[in-house]
This record gives sequence, C-alpha cells and structure tokens, in this order.
Amino acid sequence: MEDYIVEFRHITKCFPGIIANSDVSFGIKEGEVFALLGENGAGKSTLMSILFGMYQPDAGEMYVKGQKVKFHSANDATAMNIGMVHQHFKLVDNYTIAENIVLGMEPMTRRFGIFPSVDMDKANKEIADLSREYGLEVNPTDLIQDVPVSVRQRVEILKMLYRKAEIMIFDEPTAVLTPSEIDFLLKIIDGMRAAGKTIILITHKIEEIKQIADRCAILCRGKLVDVLNVQDASAQEMANMMVGREVDLVTHKDPAHIGKEVLNVSHLTVENEHHFPLVKDASFSIHSGEIFAIAGVSGNGQTQISDAITGLLPIASGTVTLNGKDITNASIRERAKAGISYIPEDRQSTGVVMDFTLAENLALRRYRKEPYSRHNILNFDKIRENADSLIEKYDIRSGQGGKSIVRSMSGGNQQKAIVGREIEEHTDLIIFVQPTRGLDIGAISNIHSQILKERERGAAILLISLELSEVMQLADTIGVIFGGELLKIAPADSLTTNEVGQYMMGVREG
Amino acid sequence: MNENKKKGLAGLLTSEKWANFTVSVLAIVLMLITSSIMLLVMGKDPVVAFKSFLQGCGMLPKASYGGGSGMLSDFFDYLNILAPMLLASLSFIVAFKTGLFNIGISGQMLLSGFTATVMVGYIKDLSPWIAKPLVILIGIVVGGLMGALIGFLKYQFNIHEVVSTIMVNYIISYITGFYINSKYVDMLTRSSRICSPAARLTWTKVQIGGVSCNIPLGVVIALLCAFIVQFIFSRTVFGFELKAVGTSRGCARYIGVNVANSMVMSMALSGVFAGLAGVTYYLGYTNTIVPKTLPGMGYDAIAVALLGNSSPIGAIFASAIVTVFQSGANYMSSSIGVAKEIASLITGILLLFAACGEYMKILGARKVQRDEEKRITARQNAAASPGDPKAGPVGGDKEKGGNER
Amino acid sequence: MIKVFTDGLSFALPLLIMAVGAIYSEKSGVTNLAVEGFQGFGAFIGALVAVMLMPLLPEGSQVPIYAALLFAAVGGGVYACLHALLCINFKANQVISGVVVNILAVALTTFYTSAVNAKLSGTASNKFILGVSNRYTIPGLSKIPWIGGLFQKMYPFEWIIIVLVIFFWYLMYKTRFGMRMRACGENPNALDAAGGNVVKTRWIAVIISGALSGIGGMCYAYSISANYSPSIYMGFGYLAIAAMIFGNWQIPSTALVCLIFGFARAGGQQLCIAMKLSSNYTDLFNMLPYVLTLLLLIFFSKRNHPPQAAGQAWDSSKR
Repeated sequence: MEDYIVEFRHITKCFPGIIANSDVSFGIKEGEVFALLGENGAGKSTLMSILFGMYQPDAGEMYVKGQKVKFHSANDATAMNIGMVHQHFKLVDNYTIAENIVLGMEPMTRRFGIFPSVDMDKANKEIADLSREYGLEVNPTDLIQDVPVSVRQRVEILKMLYRKAEIMIFDEPTAVLTPSEIDFLLKIIDGMRAAGKTIILITHKIEEIKQIADRCAILCRGKLVDVLNVQDASAQEMANMMVGREVDLVTHKDPAHIGKEVLNVSHLTVENEHHFPLVKDASFSIHSGEIFAIAGVSGNGQTQISDAITGLLPIASGTVTLNGKDITNASIRERAKAGISYIPEDRQSTGVVMDFTLAENLALRRYRKEPYSRHNILNFDKIRENADSLIEKYDIRSGQGGKSIVRSMSGGNQQKAIVGREIEEHTDLIIFVQPTRGLDIGAISNIHSQILKERERGAAILLISLELSEVMQLADTIGVIFGGELLKIAPADSLTTNEVGQYMMGVREG
Repeated sequence: MNENKKKGLAGLLTSEKWANFTVSVLAIVLMLITSSIMLLVMGKDPVVAFKSFLQGCGMLPKASYGGGSGMLSDFFDYLNILAPMLLASLSFIVAFKTGLFNIGISGQMLLSGFTATVMVGYIKDLSPWIAKPLVILIGIVVGGLMGALIGFLKYQFNIHEVVSTIMVNYIISYITGFYINSKYVDMLTRSSRICSPAARLTWTKVQIGGVSCNIPLGVVIALLCAFIVQFIFSRTVFGFELKAVGTSRGCARYIGVNVANSMVMSMALSGVFAGLAGVTYYLGYTNTIVPKTLPGMGYDAIAVALLGNSSPIGAIFASAIVTVFQSGANYMSSSIGVAKEIASLITGILLLFAACGEYMKILGARKVQRDEEKRITARQNAAASPGDPKAGPVGGDKEKGGNER
Repeated sequence: MIKVFTDGLSFALPLLIMAVGAIYSEKSGVTNLAVEGFQGFGAFIGALVAVMLMPLLPEGSQVPIYAALLFAAVGGGVYACLHALLCINFKANQVISGVVVNILAVALTTFYTSAVNAKLSGTASNKFILGVSNRYTIPGLSKIPWIGGLFQKMYPFEWIIIVLVIFFWYLMYKTRFGMRMRACGENPNALDAAGGNVVKTRWIAVIISGALSGIGGMCYAYSISANYSPSIYMGFGYLAIAAMIFGNWQIPSTALVCLIFGFARAGGQQLCIAMKLSSNYTDLFNMLPYVLTLLLLIFFSKRNHPPQAAGQAWDSSKR
C-alpha cells in the first residue's frame, strides 16, 4: 500500500442524471506509466479531473504521496506536483510559447530596482533550457497561433515540467497527432518515466497501452473493471473488459451488389484561407450499393473532402459529379436536392439545432417541401407526424417525444435523429462522417446496421472514420488519406488492417 | 406531476414552458418591491404613487380633469408612447432571434423620423391621405435601408453589428443635428420646427364623448406589426430559417440556408420596425426633433424586448408596463411631488432585474439539483447497509427517460 | 493654432483615460458598452462631493476639484461592480448588461441630481454648478515653437491623466496582473488551468474600467461644461469605445487615436471660427471620429484583433 504515489479509495462522482464514477478504488505506483482505458463516457476524464482538483468527489478519498488530500482547485493539485495535459489545449493563442508556460508562475524582477515586472528574458532562457533537457525543442518566442498542434502539445508538457510536476496526466494525447508524432510523444513519455516521473495516460486505444504502459486500469460505465499488468493481458481481453461484454468484431455483411456510378470526384483540391492545400488532387468514385470508406489519422483532409462534396467548403480545383451531373459549383441546397444526405462530424454544432425541438430538427431536410410547408407557411401537424414516425422507426428516445428540446437529449439519441433524418431522404449518396464517435456500443451497432441497410437499398455511401476497425468492418472499398492525398484506393478484401495502418502513416507503395 | 408542484418557484424557473414567463414576473415583482422601498425612504406612499402612475396614463380615473380632457385622452396619450416603444422592441427582437444585436435602433429611429419630417412634415397643404401613408413608407424604407447597411457591413467586411451601429448612431445624430440646426430649427425651442398636422401620425383634438383626444395611428401599426412578427417566427419558412441562423449558424448553413442573406434580411426587417418606431415617435408623439439627441427609447426597447422574453406578444405586455411609468410620470410627479425622473429610474430597475433573468434560471436549476441530490442521498442511506461499501448509488436515471448520455 | 493644441489635448486626455478603462474591461474578457454610464455615474459622485465641499472652503479653492476626481474614480469603480456582477457572476449577456447599466446610470443620476439640489438649495435644478478648473502654463516647454501649445494653459487633471495612463500601460503590459488579465480575455480556460483566478481578475479589471471612466467624466464636467448635468451623457463614452477599437485594444495606439480625435475636434472648431462659419459646422467635425472608425473597420477589419473571449461568460464547470 505504501508504495502507491496516488491512491483512489471508493471515489464516487455524480452529475445530474449520470453517475460518472461509482466506487472506484485503485493505486498508481511511483515511476510507472499507468494507463486508464475505457470507452467514451466511461468516466476516465472525470476521475482524472478529480485528481487534478477540477471536480470534487461526492464520496470517497484520495491519497497522494501517502497523504490524504482534498483538492479544491487545480492549484491545490499543482502544489502537490500533479500536472495535466488536457484533451483541448489551454493556451493563449497570441502569447508566446514562453508566456504561455510561465503564465500563473511568472518569474519576477524589479525594473530600476523598484517597479515589479514579469521577467520575460529569464523566462525565455529557462524555457529554452527546459526544452533542451527533455528533448522537447521549442522556440520560446514563437506565438502559439503560429505553431502546429504537435508543438502546442509540447508546450503543454513543458508547462507541467516548468511547474515541477512529478505526476503527469495525459488526456487522450494522441488523438490529434500523426503516427510519427505519436511515436515521438511515446518516446518522450518513455524518457520522462526514465527520469522518475509518474505518467497517467487516458486513452481508448489499446495499441498505445500495449506499446508504452506498465499497468492499466479499465473503466466501464463509471465502474472499475480491473487493474492489469499490461504484459500479462492480450488486446482482445482488454477490449472485452472495456466494453463490458464479448466484442463482436465481425458484423454480418452481405456481399455487395455494385451498381452504376453515383459520385465521381475528380482531381479535387481544397484549400484553406491561406491557399494551403488541405486536399490534394483527390480522385475516386462511388457506385450504387458500395460503401467507400476513407481511412486516415485525424486532420489529414478527410472532413474537407466531405465538406467540399456537400458544398460547405469551396472547391479550389477539380470536379464533383453526381449521377452524371456536374455539381462542382452548385449551392449547398442544390446539392442536397440533387441527392446528397450528410451526417456531419460535429453533430451538435452542425447536425442539429440544439435549441429547436426534436420534431423541428427531424424536419430540417423537409420543411421547404410540401406538405410540411405550403407557400412558405409551415404545417406543424405534418411536421409532428413526420417526427412521430421517425421517432418510432429509429428508436429515438427523448423526454417528451417530438416536443423535447434536442439539447436535453443524449448524444446517442441526437445521432440517431440525424441518421434517421438523413436516411429518410432516400438519396443516392449518403455521407457518414465519424457516425459513431462518442457513442456506446449499443448505439454503434444500431448505426452500423442502418448503414448496411442503406447499402442494401442501393445507396452509394461515403464513410469517413478515424476508427480503423469501423472502416475494416463496413467498407467495400477503402481509400487511405494522408496529408490530403489519397495514397491508396483498393477493394477492402484486398487489404489487411496492417496494410491500411501503414498507408495511414504515409508509407507509399514501391 | 406531483413532483413538479413540490418544486415551487425553482421548478417553474427550470421548466421549459414557464421559465421565461416566471423570470419576467419575478423581475416585475422585484421592481415593485425595490421602488416601493425607495418611495418609502422618501416618505411617500408607494400605493398612492403607483396609483397615480395609472391615473396619469388613463387607466384609473383622476380626481379632476382640465377643460375638455378626460380619462380617455390620457389613455390615448399613453398609447401614443406605447406605439414606438413596442415597434422599437420588435425591431430588437427580429435581429435578436437571428443572433444579431441591433444597438442602432436609436439612430435608425432618428434618421427615419428626420427624413419623414423634412420630406413630408414641412410640405404645406398636403392631403393627410397622402401625407400619412408617405410618412409610414419613408419610415419603412429609411429604416430598412439602414438595417440592411449594418447587415451588409457584417457579412461583407465582418464588422460586428454592435460596433457598426454605435458608429452609425452618432454619425446620424451629428448629421441630422447639423441639418436641423442650420435649416429647420425653431429659434424658440432650439429643436426642429413642428411638422404639419397632415403629416402627423396622430389625429389631434378628436372629440369623443365630450373629451378631446389625440388618437395615435401608430398603436394600430405597432400591434399589427407585433402579430406579423409573431406569425413570421412561429409559422413561416422564412422565420424558421432566421431562427435556425440565430441559434446555430453552422447547422443553418449545413441544411442549405444562405446565412449571409438571412442576416442582411433580418437586419433590414429589424430596421423597418425601427424606422416605423422613428416615425411614430417623432411624427406621432413628440412632433419635433431635438438635435443631436438619440432617443433613449431605442435603448429602452432592448430591455423591453428582454423583459418580454424576446417574443412579440411578450413585448406587447412588457412595453405596456414600461410605458405606464413613462406616460404617467407627469401626473405622478404633480400629484405626489416626486421628481418625474423617478419614472426612468423605476424603468431602469425593472430592466436591471430583467437582465438578471439568466441568473434566476441558474439559481432555480441549482435548487432543483440540490433537492435531487438530497433525494438520492436519502435513498442511498436508506438502501445501503453500512457493512456493504459496494452498494453504489444506482438509479436516478429512471426518471430522466432517454437521458442516458 | 495654439488653441488647437490646448483644446485638443484637454479633450483627448479624458477620452484616453476612458478608453484605457474600456481596454481594461475588454482585455479581461468583459465587453464594455457601459463606459458611458460609468463616466456619468462617476462624475455624479465626484460632483456631489465637490458641491458639498465647496461651501466649506474659501472661494476659488482647488481642493474640491481633486476631491471630485478622487471620488469620481471611487463612484465609477463602485458603479462598475453592477456590470461586473451581471456579466461575471450572473452570466447576463454582456451587451445587454452594458445597455441596462447605461440606462440605469442616466436615470439614477438625473433623479438624484434633482433630489440633492432640492435638499441643498431648495431649487429644482438638474445641475451641479462646479466652475472650471484653473489652468497652468509650463514655463519653459510652452515656449517651444510649434508644439509649445501643448504645454500652455493645461488643466492639472491632464497631468494626472498622463501619469495614470503610463501607470496603467505598465500594469497591463509589464506586470503579473496585466499578463494574467490579457490571458483572461483571450482564453480564460488557459488562465484557469495555470492557476489564475478568472473571476477575480475580471472583477478587478471591470472596477478599474469604472474608476478610470469616472475620472474621464469628471474631467469633462470640469472643462467643457463647468457643471454636472444629464448632458454629460452626450456620447463621449461611446467615442472612447470607438477610440479603443480604432486603437486595436492597445494603449499606445489608442492614445494616438485619442490625440487625433481631440485635435480634429479642436481643429474643426478653430477652422469654423477662422472661416466665420456657423458653429453648426463643428458638428460635422465632431462626426469625423465615428466615420473614420467605421472606414478603418471596413478596410482593415482583418487586422483588428479584439480579445477573443470578450462577450462570453466564463463558466467554471464548462472547462
């Protein structure tokens, strides 16, 4: 017991309507890399936020360095040498790297011996030294807004080191990184372990745990399932524990009935506002009854492809053709009318109007058409009928049926509503972007079967997913994207998971 | 059901249906309490004071009336202030529902009032049947154009509407001030010359039942507009899309709404109502323009809209309440001897409480949550035997229906 | 020409101190449309103290002026608490809060000016008669050709403002508080995670904003109008906001903008006198700052960088 540097005893934390942690007890040893594995919503981040002082547990005790602690703010945790890299970085964009690091613990000097002021010269020097010491090269005087995500993450790590953190929490640190950056990060973590730091890694990626972690706690729906030595457990075992039942890795999928070409994308290039290409010369086509999946690490241009096809982003060059009709310059609405449904990545800020009712949200694709409106006057009876039938058909659960405000619904049910609404348009092309992100297993299999049903119907489906397993399960054809380029397009059964993973990391053929 | 009743005020504040209404009522109650205390401190009887406000605007009979006037004439004068107030708050509501702040109502009122006064009000011998519609038309066109300009600046140059409207307000204030002072000033009053009765949106000195009344046309326009706005936002595709833009710009774009277009349209419509407020204010109520003075009503209206829960029908009630104080102030002042400026003070206090609405809801939600936590703990304590630490808190989800999150 | 400098400076400096106040509030992440109300209320308290002191002191004493400036700062700061409470703790919409705070300031001060006058002198005047501050000419500097006018007939408050602006520039850009405050307006979550106190920082900034605005309002009462009356709400607070936007939320550039606004105004007045135009034409010059600001935004709005978090209530549970 004494050798635990952090110990949780019977931690319980409730939020209105949800129990995030229920009676969780385990300990973390000094100098190890300890992983916290679990699905979205399993309570990993909540538990670590408690350790970092951002939440207070409703019940239970916490021991740090053998001492019983009660943190009231992040400051208390920092004082106990605990640091955390949040999933969403907490940096000031127009401050320099050094300013960001010292913020809150600024070195002071006295100008002319009287006026207290922040000593940025000293800060810059200290940061430069610190970054060299740990191999986290940064230029202290660069502005955050000018540096890439991977450097921002280094800044967050340096922030912890500057605060002399000995227990370091990383919340999903690899979600935003490319494979080579992930390797680099894992090396850094390894180095810090060697330097005697204790590392806590929150993740839902088993491969990473296998690669770096010593021990691992598995959480499922707020409860601790087990604490394992990573070496002694197989990936499959861990996966089963994570989801709380046997993972059915094989989804039943009938052979494809490939029909005519529905979507043709030719030499598509999409640029950001600084004319930097995000998608480079991408060409592919999708046929009726085919699921075309784009695999890739986040931020390699996948969402730009879907936004360009649906018209949310302007196309710099190339053409998009739907059923033989050129829609490259058509408006968003014209494209939807031409036969595109779109399940967007960001469901809450794009897919639904959170403050509208469920009925209104379910009518978002239809309100301009008869009988839902006539001569620009809405017919709420029809809108309600539409909602009732979709709620029934897609098993969308909410407090008050169609009258519920969507904000009050769970993420899974919001997603069901979007999927139901889009599928009901019976369009020739359906685009799914990250359709199962943040959902629990039940909702995921529901969505997967909906996708397969649409394939049966003969729709052309573009699936964009960051989950390689999802791609491998559903796709008929796989396109792998890296740095905005489609590196490889091949039938799904001709590729193994490993091969796709290789392409995702930018390995080219030949 | 039973539980809802038990929650009381906190329950009302968290219920989707009643929260906004409850906030408005609470604001009014708090205002009455605060101003009563203020009046008591000054040694005045609050009941008498509030009664005299109502008497002043023709809702209760006064003790005596001057020659030729009566309760009805007071009431019509009250309606004459109500009209621009309601129109101005409708102006704010239209923009607000689209997620935009029209802080420029004052300027839009001033410019349309000025334009109508100069173009129609000073023409002699014009038939009222031509003059009055012309004045209304000018209000619509000038206000609409000013609003559209703000919307255009926003989508074309990305200038925040709050900033551009403030600049435009003062530009209008100085430019109209310049013209009034150099061309249209009445040397005696130092404000613009009064406009012809034909152009006024008030029928002056109409005899009804032996009393002389000034019948405002504006109030008819204002009520009509309130119902039009209500209809637009509750029933039409156009209003539905504006609301979508207002609450989720990302989603509106995704379903194919032309967001830039919607914002310009919404600001233009907002400007139309501000323009109508301007002509009913300057050609209906004041009949003259004080140079270089933005009408405070343009700002009051923002808070009136807030008090009315940014719904057009709510705005009718909210402006009716606020106008009581502004219209009844003179009589109140003369009858109980408190400076009439207290009316603005009472309005200000009311608006202050209305602005706290969000916080009232937060307080209500906190109370409900605390009660719920208490219930859960109580249930736990009852369920868990001390020797069994594994008996974690389960449940609490049941009542929430689909809220598994 | 000399008059342009003298008048321009005495107009620009009170505007600058208000603009610095507005910058403080916005840099901490609280949108501030309430400058107009802050300056009016602050000046009201200052003027109240002055009229109460005046009978106790010999004729022509300058003590009431300094007391008024001090209490204007106190009054503005206290009144700003209302805006802080609404925006920071009550999470009200900051634009609406600003508007409401202004409305209430006008109502409160107008009513109580009359009420106090009725108590003190028995008349129902809505003015506090203050008189004009003495002016001083700096002996050596005022003799410099061309710019000598800057140092002639200066109000003492101009010196106070210059010292204050330098102090608050230093506080904002060089000290620990300033660094945290600016972070607070860009990304309050960053400050929170780094152990700073977002709520406290914003409160202090908004109170500073109110205090500085109060001083600005008081200076106008002592220079332009020689009394305190509701006409103090003639839009200088909004002009300060225009200067702040034009100055891109930076104190040095805002100072420059205020000087330009001041000299343009004074220059316009002198030009009208020189060309024997009616005083109406000065209104066209007074309009210039607003037109310039709007034009600037049209052509350079991309370069403007308002504090990113201004206008959003910070919710500690949503980090």
